[in-house]
Amino acid sequence: MTDLAIAAVGAYAPHDRLPAAAVREALGRFEAAGVERTAVPAVDEDALTMAHEAAERALTAAAIDRSTLTRLAVATTTPPVDEEDLTPRLVSTLGLEPEVETGLLTGSTHAGCSALSSGLEAPGPALVIASDAPRGAPDDAIDHAGGAGAVAFVLAPEGGASVVDQHTVTNAYPGTRFRARGDAEPTGLGITAYDRQAFAETIGATADGVETDEVDAVAVQAPDGKRPYRAAGRLGVGTDAIQRCATVHELGDTGAASALLSLAVALEDGAERVLVAGYGSGAVATTMVVARDETVEVDLDLDAGEELTYTQALRRRGTLSSGEPAGGGAYVSIPTWRRSLPQRHRLEAGVCPDCAAVTFPPEGVCDGCGDLVTFTVHPLPGTGTVEAVTTIQQGGAPPEFVDQQARSGPYQSAIVSFDAPGGETVSIPAQVVGEVAVGDRVETVIRRIYAQEDVIRYGFKIRRRPHERTRT
Amino acid sequence: MTRAYVVGAGQTPFGAFPDESYRSLFQQAYEAALESTGDRVDAIDVDEAVIGTLGVGGRQLGLSGPAVTEHVGLDGVPCSRIENACAAGGFAVRQAIQAVESGMADLVVAGGYEMMTDMGSDRTKYWLGVSGETEWERLTGTTFAGVYAQMASAYLEQYDVDTEALSRVAVKNHANGAKNPNAHLGFTCSLEDAEGGAPVADPLSLYHCCPTSDGAAVVLIASEKFVSAYDGDAVAVLGVGAGSDSVGLADRDTYTAIPASERAARTAYERAKVTPEALDLAEVHDCFAIAELLAYEDLGFCDRGAAPSLLEAGETDLDGSLPVNPSGGLKSKGHPIGATGTGQVVEVFKQLTGRAGDRQVADATRALTHNVGGSGGAAVVHIFERGGRA
Repeated sequence: MTDLAIAAVGAYAPHDRLPAAAVREALGRFEAAGVERTAVPAVDEDALTMAHEAAERALTAAAIDRSTLTRLAVATTTPPVDEEDLTPRLVSTLGLEPEVETGLLTGSTHAGCSALSSGLEAPGPALVIASDAPRGAPDDAIDHAGGAGAVAFVLAPEGGASVVDQHTVTNAYPGTRFRARGDAEPTGLGITAYDRQAFAETIGATADGVETDEVDAVAVQAPDGKRPYRAAGRLGVGTDAIQRCATVHELGDTGAASALLSLAVALEDGAERVLVAGYGSGAVATTMVVARDETVEVDLDLDAGEELTYTQALRRRGTLSSGEPAGGGAYVSIPTWRRSLPQRHRLEAGVCPDCAAVTFPPEGVCDGCGDLVTFTVHPLPGTGTVEAVTTIQQGGAPPEFVDQQARSGPYQSAIVSFDAPGGETVSIPAQVVGEVAVGDRVETVIRRIYAQEDVIRYGFKIRRRPHERTRT
Repeated sequence: MTRAYVVGAGQTPFGAFPDESYRSLFQQAYEAALESTGDRVDAIDVDEAVIGTLGVGGRQLGLSGPAVTEHVGLDGVPCSRIENACAAGGFAVRQAIQAVESGMADLVVAGGYEMMTDMGSDRTKYWLGVSGETEWERLTGTTFAGVYAQMASAYLEQYDVDTEALSRVAVKNHANGAKNPNAHLGFTCSLEDAEGGAPVADPLSLYHCCPTSDGAAVVLIASEKFVSAYDGDAVAVLGVGAGSDSVGLADRDTYTAIPASERAARTAYERAKVTPEALDLAEVHDCFAIAELLAYEDLGFCDRGAAPSLLEAGETDLDGSLPVNPSGGLKSKGHPIGATGTGQVVEVFKQLTGRAGDRQVADATRALTHNVGGSGGAAVVHIFERGGRA
C-alpha cells in the first residue's frame, strides 16, 4: 500500500436547503426516501466552485506548502461542461504548481473512491476532491434526492489517517441509473427490486475482501436516505455506524462526493476506524478501511442556512427564466479574459518597486507614483473592507447578469479596499455573495462570474467574513 | 488667440421618437440652429463640423459624424466624430472652440445626437453600460446606475444624509423641466413621489435616474472675425476646461467627488477669469441625482458635504441665487447621450439671449455648462457670457 495518508479534510455544502416537505407540497409526493432536505447550490455555484471551497479548507487546515503537491484528482458526475478538463482551472484558483499531475474522474458516482485511490498512489503529497450536485428531471426520484456538496483530502506521508484495506468489485448491472449521451440529467428504469439488488450485491461483494470488524463508523454511498442502510447486513455493520456519519438526510444525494463526505463527517466526529463504501451504477463498488493513528485536521462547512420554497428552487435552476438576452455592446473576449486569470483566480496585484504602492491589475502606471514601472507580483490575501456598495435591482443588471438576477434576485456590487503587502490597500470592485454593508470585513470566494458563448467564466466574488465586522 | 462665440443653437425635443432616425433628428437640430440666427448663417459659411455620439445601438459606429453632416448638405466639410461617452456632445463643442481659437476655422458646427429608445430593453441594456470600465467594473454586475449608486452610498455614509437629498434634485429639475417644451419628462413630481420610486440600485430609485432619450442638438461656434461682421446674437466663450480620470470608480482617489470635473472647472474658471460667484446659472450633468450634488461641490458652488443644504435652501432653484439646470437637466429634459452636452449649450444660449420662455433666469449674464462622460472618466466645463464682444 501507499505511504500517503489523510492529513487534512475540508468539506463544503451550499447553505440553502430545499425541505422535502416543500417538494411534497408542490408535487403531491416526494420520491427520495429518508431525505429530509437537500442542499441547493447558489446560481453561481457548480462542481468546480464547490471543489475549490472544499479544497481551500483542506489545504489551509493542512498548512501544507502547495508547491509540494504532486497530484490533483477530482471526481464529479456533474462537471460544468461535458468536455473540457476542469482541473487546470482548479490548479489556477488554488494556486498549485502547473506541473501537478491532474486527473478528472467522472461518469460514475464511484468516481470519488477512484479519485481517493488515485491520490493514494501519487508519488508525493496529493489533493483529492469529490464535488457533485446531481439533478434529475423534476418528477424523478433522482432529482428529489439531488443535493450538493464537496469534500477534499490532503494526502501526505505524515497524514494521520491511513487507508489500511481496500477492495473493488465490478458487477455488470445495466440500467439502474444512467445518463444517455447528450442528456442533461441521469435517469433510471425504476425497477425497484433490481436497483436495490445491484446496490446491495455489489457493495456486499467488496466487503468480502476487507476486515470490517471494529469499525466505528460506516460511510456508505447514499443515492437516497434508505439505500445505505440496506447494505448494512451485507457489510456486516450496524445501522447506527452508518447513521453516525450519514449526510444524505440533510444534504441529499451528493453523487461522487457521497461516501467521502460521510468519511469527512466521521473523522470530524472522532471515529477511529471508518469503513468507506462507494458505489457507482453499472455497477462498481469499493470499500476502504480508514484507520486514524494521529491527528487529522478537519474543516467542514456543511451548515444549513436559508430554507427555500419549491418555487425559489425551480427559479434558481433556471426553469423559469430564458437565459442571457440577445444584444451587442461591451464584450470581453476569451483571450482578454484569460489574461486576467491570475487576478480573477488568485488576486495577483503589483507592488511598485519604487513607492511600494499596490496596483490591481498589475498593469499600466503605478497607482501610487504614477510611473510606468515593472511590478513585483504578489497574490493578495483576499481580505478587505467594503468602501461602497449598491444593490442591483430588477432591470439594473447588465445582460451578462440578467439570467443570474432572474434566477436569484437582486444582488450587490461593491468596492472593496483589499488588504495588501506592507500595510497598503488597493480598491477593487467585486460582486457580493450574500449581503454586506459599508465597513464590513469581507473575503474572496471563487464563483461563476458569468457564462458567454457557452464558456463559463470563473473568478472571485466577496462575502462577509464570519464573526468579523468593523466600521471605518 | 481669437475668442470663440456661440452665434446659434438649436435642438430637437428630447424624448422617444419612433418615427425619426438619427439623421432626421440631426437635421431638425441643425435647421433649428440656423433658424436661431435669424437665418443670418448659411451652410456655405461652415468650415468644419464636430459631432458627438456614442453610437448606442451600433447603427453607424464608423464615420458617424459625416453620416449626419452629409445628410444636411455639409458633405465636403471636414468632419470628425467625438466619442467621450455621455460627454461626447460637450467635448464636440470644446473641439469646435479649439478649431476657432486656433484660427483654423471661422464657423464650426458642433453637434450631437443619439437614438436610444428604438430597441428592446434587452438590447438597450447592452449599450447602457458600455462606457463603464468593462473588464472589472461591469463584470461585477453593474451598469451606471450601480456605479453612481456606489458613489451615493459612500456620500450618504460620509455626510450622514438620507435619500431626501437625492429626491430634492428630482423635484427641482422636474419643476424646471415642466416649463421646457423640449423636455422628455416634462412633468412635476413631489418629494413623496421621488422618495417612493421603484428601487433601481440602492440607494438610487427611479426618480434618482435620468431617462434614456432620443434627440439631437447643434450649436454654431464662430470666430471674432466672423462675429465682427455679424449682427445677430453672440454669446462669448469665456473659458473652457476639461479633465479625465480612471474609467472605473474603484481606481479613483475618491468616490464622493468627480476629480475630472474639479480639474475641468478649475481650468475653465482660470481661463474665464471668473469665480463661481460670477455665475447666473448652470447646466450640470445630473444623470443620477447624486451626480448633481457632487457637481455643486466639484464646481465650487459650495463646500464639500454642503450640497444637500444648498439644494434644500432653494439656492439652486429657478429663482435662487444660482439656478442649476433650468432646462430640467438630464433628469427631466432627457439624456440622449451624444446630444446632452451640446444641448446644455443650447439652453445656455437661450438663457443668455433671453429666449428661455417660462424658465428664463432673470438678467442672466454668465452661465456654466458641465458635461460628464461615464461615471467621471471625462468631464468638460464651459463658461459663457452674454454679448462679450471684443
